[in-house]
Amino acid sequence: MIEFLVFIGLPLLLAVFCYFMQDMIVQFGLTLLAAFSHICLSALVFFGFYEANLPVFFGLDALSKLFLLILSNVYFWVTLVSYSYLKKPVMPKAEEGKKFYFMLLNFYLASNSAAILSSHFGMYWVAAEATTLSVAPLIYFYRNEEALEAMWKYLFLVSVGIAFAFIGILLLTLSAEGTPLEGRQLFFADFVKNAGVLNPIWLKASFIFIFVGLSTKIGIAPMHSGDVDATSNAPAPIAALMSGSLRITALLGVMRILQIISGTSCYEFARVILITGALLSIFAAFVSMFRINNYKRMLAYSSVEHLGIITLGLGVGGLAFAGALFHAVYNSIAKVVLFLTAGNIHRRYKSRQVDHVKSALTSMPKTSWLFMLAFLAISGIPPFGIFFSELKIFEGMLFSDVPALLVLLMFFLLFIFINMGRIIFSMLYKKGSDEPALPEPERWESNHAVAIILLIILTAIAVFSPDVLYQNIIDITKDFGIRL
Amino acid sequence: MENVLSILFCLSLFYVSLTLRVKGYIAVLRSQGIILAILLLYPFIYDFSVYGVIIPLTILIIKVFFIPRYINKIILDLDIKRQVEPTIQQMTFLPLVIASMILIFLATHIISLITKIDVIPFASGFSAIVVGIYIMIFRKKLIVHVVGFLIMENGIFLFGTAVASELPMMIELGVLLDVFVVVFLMGIALNKIRSSFEGIEVTQLGRLKD
Repeated sequence: MIEFLVFIGLPLLLAVFCYFMQDMIVQFGLTLLAAFSHICLSALVFFGFYEANLPVFFGLDALSKLFLLILSNVYFWVTLVSYSYLKKPVMPKAEEGKKFYFMLLNFYLASNSAAILSSHFGMYWVAAEATTLSVAPLIYFYRNEEALEAMWKYLFLVSVGIAFAFIGILLLTLSAEGTPLEGRQLFFADFVKNAGVLNPIWLKASFIFIFVGLSTKIGIAPMHSGDVDATSNAPAPIAALMSGSLRITALLGVMRILQIISGTSCYEFARVILITGALLSIFAAFVSMFRINNYKRMLAYSSVEHLGIITLGLGVGGLAFAGALFHAVYNSIAKVVLFLTAGNIHRRYKSRQVDHVKSALTSMPKTSWLFMLAFLAISGIPPFGIFFSELKIFEGMLFSDVPALLVLLMFFLLFIFINMGRIIFSMLYKKGSDEPALPEPERWESNHAVAIILLIILTAIAVFSPDVLYQNIIDITKDFGIRL
Repeated sequence: MENVLSILFCLSLFYVSLTLRVKGYIAVLRSQGIILAILLLYPFIYDFSVYGVIIPLTILIIKVFFIPRYINKIILDLDIKRQVEPTIQQMTFLPLVIASMILIFLATHIISLITKIDVIPFASGFSAIVVGIYIMIFRKKLIVHVVGFLIMENGIFLFGTAVASELPMMIELGVLLDVFVVVFLMGIALNKIRSSFEGIEVTQLGRLKD
């Protein structure tokens, strides 16, 4: 019972409390406390020191243990920097947005944990929709027109998408007709056990609806536009939260139905769809990187690219599947660093346009170095983790039945790297015309420390490759019936 | 009885594709809510249980009472013109709807030969989903998009009863609550859009581009 309280109950209670409490410091302290207990307990559960016992509709398996740890890791660091971010927001209009910030953050944690811990499709749907509802007002934090438009588009597109996923869930019931599952509840585990007897036509239809619907939330092309708008206009901590954890939660829904399908004759069909969607998103990122002039938007497209890579790994299967899971972990950490440092740059230059940011390396050296390191990390430069996970995905593709796709992927990734590098180095090095001779020195801030810690974690996981993580990912691949 | 109600539901779809008044759209939302509530209440006439009446009652409260009232309030507050402003000719919209519905009914009939489904509720539900999407595509006003989304949700609900999926009550209530909060948030967003943009049409939303 205590685990249910810590994961879902406490954040929910705090959300109510924050609504009535006016004092920001108290709100921040309690939210941080909840985040800390969340990360402690999910780490205990992940390392196997604690056997969680959850009520009906909820459960824990290897996959949800991993994703829960990703969520609480991202959420903890984001909460930690939130207070200093709120004290110095980019735009003065944001005063009004502060009032509900921690309330929505807590509600986000509760709903996202519920989505990850759910063992029932209906419960997953309700919780996943609730995450959209909690994030949408946070996107409108700056209270300007762009943010408003982004919020409207995100809310509308994702709600329609999630409604499609609901049709997919209903079709799943239809696929169980005439089997022992008929009239039973939609628990993941039951469906995985009886996957062989499900009606393949309805199963395929269900997969399409769920994948297309949730891809609005994951950011898989061609449904990525709402997600990109939202991530690029949200304040930095929220963008980090969305890229690091929300997209992964939506991916979880696709992985649940993939787990059912992987034991049936429809597996090939699902793979084709996953690979197509993944390549389309990497292609969308590839195209947009050529003409982008907004660095937050560039980072949002980078998220589209990396979720594409993860989906590609899931679709290819084998070693690439394990690589994709590693990639999900590393990507979530690197994205937090990138968005937080980009938030610092935004605050200094008051603009998201690349052209307005000149010689950042001299005016804000600490942020700029961290930004550059995070860029190298996300591009897969060793010794950062993403290098190793991408290598696994490449190796898996090379020895799968679709080695030709590897050439295409490498081509896209190369140009994405070149274009991102061009943009970022022009921000850091290009001299502006009207520069003060001696810019005021940049002070240390909490998000610099967080960025350094996260970059160290990112390297440490890759270098030491802890057995627990490795074993957990092996367990997931076993659950999916994938041979490495 | 189920079939009769489903056909009434289809008629409401025809009405929504004919009318050009926003009031008409809201009336359709109300009637669809009533139809769904009756559809769920019907089995309990013979076999009454308090437990089973909760969901139809919630539907009645949320879909028939709260949401239409809320949308009406938004229309009055924002002083929205009472025309829906289509982006295509009404004379092309109606045939499009009719053709899609015929196609859906035929397809459902073919599907029913291999799987056991109730043809009319299944096809009506699916038609409502398609019509809801059409409304979102072919109408300019954002408030009408919200109505289109709700018609789609109603369609999914009918569809759910047709495939005889029984979700637990807690989750069913969660779904209804989610829909209500979505509409509520959309209403707040519309208020903000009204005060910061010149109008509340989809053409105003073109700031975000690559």
